[in-house]
Amino acid sequence: MVTIIVRSVLIYLIVLLVFRLMGKRQLGQMQPFELVLTLIIADLATIPMAEVSVPVLHGIVPLLTLVLLHLVITVATRISHTFSKIVSGKPVIIINPKGIDYKAMKKLNLSTDDIFSALREQGYFNINQVQYAIMETNGKVSVMPKGEFAPATNGDLNISSPESFLPIVLVSEGKMIKENITLASYSEEDILKLLSKQNKKLKDVLLLTVDRLGEGYLQFFQEAGRTIKMKKAGGT
Amino acid sequence: MKYMNVINFIIIALILTGICVVEEVLVSRSLIEIQNRCLQIESLAEEEGNIQNARIVLALDNLEFRWTEYESKLCYMVHHKNVQEIGQEIVKARKYIAENDVQEFEVSIELIKFYCHSYLHFMGASVHNVL
Repeated sequence: MVTIIVRSVLIYLIVLLVFRLMGKRQLGQMQPFELVLTLIIADLATIPMAEVSVPVLHGIVPLLTLVLLHLVITVATRISHTFSKIVSGKPVIIINPKGIDYKAMKKLNLSTDDIFSALREQGYFNINQVQYAIMETNGKVSVMPKGEFAPATNGDLNISSPESFLPIVLVSEGKMIKENITLASYSEEDILKLLSKQNKKLKDVLLLTVDRLGEGYLQFFQEAGRTIKMKKAGGT
Repeated sequence: MKYMNVINFIIIALILTGICVVEEVLVSRSLIEIQNRCLQIESLAEEEGNIQNARIVLALDNLEFRWTEYESKLCYMVHHKNVQEIGQEIVKARKYIAENDVQEFEVSIELIKFYCHSYLHFMGASVHNVL
């Protein structure tokens, strides 16, 4: 049993490394070759984990070989557009201003139900609202609505909105995030001073953020969060 | 990122090459040595005319000792079930010496040689094995 535990830990760490090397794409964003790789990895990892007579190397070597192959294919798809088309396919227009492209639909092995389902997922319940729908290489459908059904933006309405900035997390669950504090041109003393004004300690803080305009958000454990005025942060 | 990919590629390629080289060297060295030791035992048995003598027992002890050593290393690379037959035949050969069963002893030694030969065949890198 100890052997199985140690092997499981080892294989887990290697699979984790393999996925880190593969990148951060989520399952739904995977290209076909990445999906194939993920399925094979899942299968490969379980064999040496449970079968004690199989050397762990029999799991590690194919995993590393697949990562190697993945790196090669990734680089090749970046370099060659033709290769990329062969491996990942190309986006296909399934709805155009004339309606559903039946030829494309059949080529992609889709039914009208599939198309409607994809449109609904994008928030369009009527095909009349859609100008173009494109089936991406990762299987997702991108929709471009007709002008009259496109959501209005501030630009369309001539409304000027203040520029927004990314908030920087300074304290999270009672711990200061030193690199963010430096990034925001704050010091640890600034934060401790701010907290002492509130009669609180660092360990009481659930979340403290600040943005470039000095807009802060402070929430203590077991309390409601509130917006506070702080010194303007730099670097955001 | 581009450089990281290249570095990752080189590191993984080196690891895989290292594993392949170590496997090739270990497998061929160990199995060829075991085969040679078997040949030595066969010629000893022929020389001595019987199998119940100290030289053959010592040669078999050495064979077992070396095989145990190699087996533990081979288990890092090869499926355990694939290499256990040699150990089993060595144990049988020892039993046949105690029973003075020359014919079965010779068969056991012959089998060890055969296993070594077939392991060398299927563990090495070849087109047959790949396909």
